[in-house]
Amino acid sequence: MEIKIKLFASLTKNRFIEEIRRYEEGTNVKTVIEDINIPENEVFIIFVNNIHAGKDYLLKDGDTLALFPPSGGG
Amino acid sequence: MNLTEDQIERYSRQIILDNVGGKGQEKLLQSRILIIGAGGLGSPAAFYLAAAGAGNLGIIDGDEVDLSNLQRQILHSTDDVGRAKVDSAKETLEKLNPDINIITYNKRVNAQNISSIISEYDFIIDGTDNFGAKFLINDACVLNKKPYSHGGILRFHGQTITHVPGSACYRCLFETLPPKGAVPSCSEAGVLGVVAGFLGTLQASEAMKYILKTGELLTDSLFYFDILNTEFRLLKIKRNKNCPVCGDNPSISKLEEKNYEQPVCDLKQQR
Repeated sequence: MEIKIKLFASLTKNRFIEEIRRYEEGTNVKTVIEDINIPENEVFIIFVNNIHAGKDYLLKDGDTLALFPPSGGG
Repeated sequence: MNLTEDQIERYSRQIILDNVGGKGQEKLLQSRILIIGAGGLGSPAAFYLAAAGAGNLGIIDGDEVDLSNLQRQILHSTDDVGRAKVDSAKETLEKLNPDINIITYNKRVNAQNISSIISEYDFIIDGTDNFGAKFLINDACVLNKKPYSHGGILRFHGQTITHVPGSACYRCLFETLPPKGAVPSCSEAGVLGVVAGFLGTLQASEAMKYILKTGELLTDSLFYFDILNTEFRLLKIKRNKNCPVCGDNPSISKLEEKNYEQPVCDLKQQR
């Protein structure tokens, strides 16, 4: 299945802004985060098709996965 | 209340807006808005709210002004270095608008004091600089049914959510605090002053819309921006039924200090 991955802010550094990757059916968000080499604690917000999701969310063909880093400052 | 001639003149440019008007201005003058943190986010928020005639502005901060704050914390000036931030803030805001009442608290919020402080206010703005305080403010506002604006910034990016009773909260997105050291702070990773200015003014506009009961609040939504790549995103969020504080069977029913201490991820840091 094809998943469109969008990265934001500092997560794009040395990676990409948007990319389509192929995964086996039943792949979850956590596996994709590992596949694109982002340390797990650098991802703070996960959206699938513009709706927030958890790391165990099972992706489907055509899903758009957006990953955001944390912003805890003020 | 009746507006004075000076007030009509001072606020004329917003009174002529249909969404404000004389009645709206009176609501603003009677409003009670609390800003937690007189720093990067709190400064622009407080500045614009004071200018707009938000009549009772609470400001809470336990820190003193440091030279490294001045790049973004525009309430404070060079001469204020070493002063309590709340004193510096009060002086700046009173100079801008003597028409309003500034209430200051020279302390940090904690699990013991936050509920009684926020109970005095109609709307809360989170302008704090650490995850512990952000989770504490969220939980306190949810448990006390207080509307509030969450804001967080780092480097070139930031995010904001508005919560009102029944809408999605900060914990719906992030159930637990990240381990200490896992996420850099502004002092470690840096932040551009305009990022704070942009987000702080958005938070002030949420407070004003809430008080005026006009427009669409940023509820059940997350606004995320990255000025470096010029990305502005508005994403829908849903209240999480399993949220530990606002979910159907919440596990957090009272505030306990230990829940707001960030777990240490690197044991070496404990020495």
